[in-house]
Amino acid sequence: MTKEKKDILLPEKFTIENVPFLFNEIKELKKDANIEIDFENVERFDSSAIAFLNHLKINYENISFKNITSEFNKILGMFHTDESIEHDLQIITPRKRFEAIANRFLKLRSNFRKYILLLSDEIYYTILYIFNRKGVYPGEISNQMYDIGFKSSPILCLISFLVGVTISITTLEQLNNFGADIYIADIVGFGMIRELIPLMTGIILAGKIGASITAEISSMKVLEEVDAIKTMGLVPEQFLMVPRLIAITLAVPLLIAIADVIGIFGGVIIAKIFSGIQPSAFFREMLVTVDLKDFFIGLGKTMVFGWTVVITAGYKGFSVEKGAVEIGNATTDSVVLSISLIIVLDCLFALLLY
Amino acid sequence: MKEIIRTEDLYAGYEGSVVLKELNFIINKGEITVILGKSGCGKSTILKTIIGLIPPISGDIYFYEKRMDYLSESSVNNLYRRIGVLFQNNALLNSLNLYDNVSIPIKMHYPELQKEIEREMVFSTLSQVGLLKSFNKFPSQLSGGMKKRAALARSMILDPDIIFCDEPTTGLDPITAHGLDELMLNLKNIFGITLVVVTHELRSIEKISDKVIVLKDGAVHFSGKYDKLFTLNDSFINKFFLKE
Repeated sequence: MTKEKKDILLPEKFTIENVPFLFNEIKELKKDANIEIDFENVERFDSSAIAFLNHLKINYENISFKNITSEFNKILGMFHTDESIEHDLQIITPRKRFEAIANRFLKLRSNFRKYILLLSDEIYYTILYIFNRKGVYPGEISNQMYDIGFKSSPILCLISFLVGVTISITTLEQLNNFGADIYIADIVGFGMIRELIPLMTGIILAGKIGASITAEISSMKVLEEVDAIKTMGLVPEQFLMVPRLIAITLAVPLLIAIADVIGIFGGVIIAKIFSGIQPSAFFREMLVTVDLKDFFIGLGKTMVFGWTVVITAGYKGFSVEKGAVEIGNATTDSVVLSISLIIVLDCLFALLLY
Repeated sequence: MKEIIRTEDLYAGYEGSVVLKELNFIINKGEITVILGKSGCGKSTILKTIIGLIPPISGDIYFYEKRMDYLSESSVNNLYRRIGVLFQNNALLNSLNLYDNVSIPIKMHYPELQKEIEREMVFSTLSQVGLLKSFNKFPSQLSGGMKKRAALARSMILDPDIIFCDEPTTGLDPITAHGLDELMLNLKNIFGITLVVVTHELRSIEKISDKVIVLKDGAVHFSGKYDKLFTLNDSFINKFFLKE
């Protein structure tokens, strides 16, 4: 059987604009086809031309060049690629896939261990700081309180008010059917103070404070500021995290108190507008069900959520090694993980406390 | 010698501050032109102005004797297809591996080019800069010198007429810097690529430059062959080259 034969007369401009057409001419040929390339007209060429010729040399057995100049021949010899590299690029065996899945589980276990270690470190460093007042930059706690407490309060007030209003409107409609409008006070008071305000505060802290802590610490890690802190003889996990943990501990009671008042205020307004319930009657009824213990339970839960947010944010921030992409990913992961943990913890609290 | 870039009475800078004034110089084809001067004298600003990242305040820039209009999309696109830029901090995209970083210009400008040819081009270029084995690594896994070479590979993938290099060897050890200098000389000698290099590495300047433009206080203090620099007996130049 005779072999296929193909003569290619290269154009004057053997460049990236013409290479795709030349490639289309040869792509249907068999591996053992006789290909003759004529360089007679070539006046200009570029690296895509050399790439084209390299491709021919690798994939076809019988290539011959005609009228090739010594200059072109010399440059062609300088370009070479390692064929084995291409194979590395493409082969993904089932074993490799299985290894990748197994590695993910192992990484998950290792990440959990790191999280717990960071948590225990932070508890230790915070207690240490309370007793010896060392390892934290002076004034940093009040700065963090301003960031965590003051800057979060407007959005928290708005959300609390709207949640109070929404709960009242949706519940009043049902209570109306039974002529039990006054019990709106119990539902709003109990639901808001023990459940919704702590949960909403936790989620807002995760989105606002958690994201900013992760972005800040991970940027410091990438810009080698964390290494600089280490070389100054300080512990970054103490220097950066303890002020934030103490600040959130001090800021949360204030945030919760404000959010409770505003959330209930939203409920009172709706009860007055839609059912004509006087505020005095609302509070009298609410205090039958809700007492100080409920406030402290809500406060305790929020405190735990706040610590979770800070520890998670710090953990994600410190886990970044290099690069802008990692910072973005760590920030997103921090918010998602914080919110997930808050909901899991909330569920656990519900099981334990009710 | 054919000119590639010419500036005429160019004033450049940022909003509210003129950094460069009355710049008149020519960059010739097939030469390595080194722009040098003290920190903050506007070296990087020149590059950014020529490549259209900072609009000129006044004056003209000619590319192949055609006046550049940086407001015209076709004019700017034509410029970008014919130049390569090596940024000071490499500007590799961290989310992409080396192969993908280097192949960006091909994929964007020549989407019709077959994958097989693209792969050959990328591997050939990576081979020239000595990074073939690292083709699937991400920028975060590369050393400083490797990042510079990777960025150079990306800038030369489409055989540009001219490559602008902003402090290519700054922060590198002498051996790596020497390798990069060799690479730039090869680009000029073998492929005839014109290079404009902003640097204040004295060894590098001595080794690679055909022409030197010295900036002082935002203006051209000297423009000419490297050898002529020391015949002037100029105090600023002598201080710069540690001869005083």
